[in-house]
Amino acid sequence: MLDWYPIFLKEMLQFKRKLLRLGYIFSAMMAPIIYLITFGLGLGRTVTLSGGVDYLTYLFPGLVAMSSMNNSYSWVASTLNLSRLYFKTFQIYIQAPIHPLSIMIGEVLAGMVKGLFASLLILFVGLFLPSGFKINEIFVLALLLNCFMFASLGVITGMITKSHEDTATYSNFFIMPMAFFSGTFFSIERIPHVFKPFIYVMPLTHTNILIRKNFLDTEAVLSLFAVLFYCFFFFILGYLLIKKYNE
Amino acid sequence: MILINNLSKSYGKVKALDSLNLEIKKSEIFGLLGPNGAGKTTTVKILTNLTKPESGLCYIDGINVLKYPQEVKKIIGVVPQENNLDRELTVYENLLIYGMLHKVKSLKKRIEEILSIMELTEKKNAIVNTLSGGFQRRVLLARALLPEPKVMFLDEPSIGLDPHIRRELWQIIRKIKIEGRTVLLTTHYIEEAEALCDRVGILFHGRLIALGTSAELKKNVGEYVVEFFNENGEFISEVCHSREEAYEIAKKRNNGVTLRKSNLEDVFVKLTGERIRKIER
Repeated sequence: MLDWYPIFLKEMLQFKRKLLRLGYIFSAMMAPIIYLITFGLGLGRTVTLSGGVDYLTYLFPGLVAMSSMNNSYSWVASTLNLSRLYFKTFQIYIQAPIHPLSIMIGEVLAGMVKGLFASLLILFVGLFLPSGFKINEIFVLALLLNCFMFASLGVITGMITKSHEDTATYSNFFIMPMAFFSGTFFSIERIPHVFKPFIYVMPLTHTNILIRKNFLDTEAVLSLFAVLFYCFFFFILGYLLIKKYNE
Repeated sequence: MILINNLSKSYGKVKALDSLNLEIKKSEIFGLLGPNGAGKTTTVKILTNLTKPESGLCYIDGINVLKYPQEVKKIIGVVPQENNLDRELTVYENLLIYGMLHKVKSLKKRIEEILSIMELTEKKNAIVNTLSGGFQRRVLLARALLPEPKVMFLDEPSIGLDPHIRRELWQIIRKIKIEGRTVLLTTHYIEEAEALCDRVGILFHGRLIALGTSAELKKNVGEYVVEFFNENGEFISEVCHSREEAYEIAKKRNNGVTLRKSNLEDVFVKLTGERIRKIER
């Protein structure tokens, strides 16, 4: 039952070593802080939102979602790609008498921890900002599901990419547009109708809807189901890719 | 202990293995010898579940490798050609993770034991990246031995090591045999195959072209070798079945003739015909 634990432990040992190099913490915080300053404190002062919400309060949960997505996804995709193609450490898992599902669980949990850690750093910065943002149960649920969803997507990318450069390509084509067009910086209501179907297909859109809710209304429930669907879909696909591993 | 039946595998248009048949006995060190691309690593990858063949069957200790991979994984240890230790982790952490993956009982005690056997106790807390190539190879062996596997796969275990370290490694491999384990060793070092293997199989373009003990193989192709430069300045190496035959060839040459006993490289050259075409009588 606990076959996933050595995989998770290995990732955590490596993560701990990276944390001890302080550069990691600063680099993980850098992009969200730049966005906070530029969009929140800079441009944000000129933005007025319906319902009297100040822009920083609107932006902050989106930045947490974006940061958790980036870190959960990139860490898993990148380390899996490198360990599979260059360091060949992934082969140790394949040659061990454990179920492929355990490999998937270990990788996803490790990705979640990395995503949550980056989110906690942003939340820490948020303590010092003049916003009306408050954490509630829906926020926590959305954050956890978002980390799970993108760590699972990271496994898929890590398993299908044929070189490390491919990881950056996937990131540029899927993750980067999602970060900007899924309601992180501005409401998706402002996007022209013709593009909306594409926006609603993006998983982060639904996390952004959910993470800003104070209670589960119809829109939140629909987004929750969408996130749960993506979590399931990405997880199963990642698991099948590990199961079908063949050099 | 290992049985391979008609195993074939292609990578695109390249045939890596072409109907390979092989039987490896219990407690023997079997050497798969061949040049790069002969199919040695592909054979190991199939037997250790990293890749699937197009056709054929293979069994380890009576277990069908393709049908029951999880059962096979419990009884094998692998030292891959490429160093796949976690380089940012310590020696101990590498062994710990591997031991947990293989559900080794009394793991901490077993790690201490294997560290002591492999003379790695002092390096226990060293980050793998800081170790020399020789020590890293030793850690790879220690890791593979940790779950006490019945069958060991050593894929080019001494590649890139200097001769002194290579000989140290050979001692360790001999110890593995004494413990009663079956070893499948791939190498393209003739000297290594001769020094370690009870039997040798020569692979060439995915086909097994020779099988037997080193002595048998040499006897089959000829135990004596005459080497000289011909009139065009080309290096000629002729394998002969008898000393008399070798003397006859040597006598026809005026100078620069070397007469020696054959080795597995001569067997390989003779069987593959790679250099044999140059021989002129």
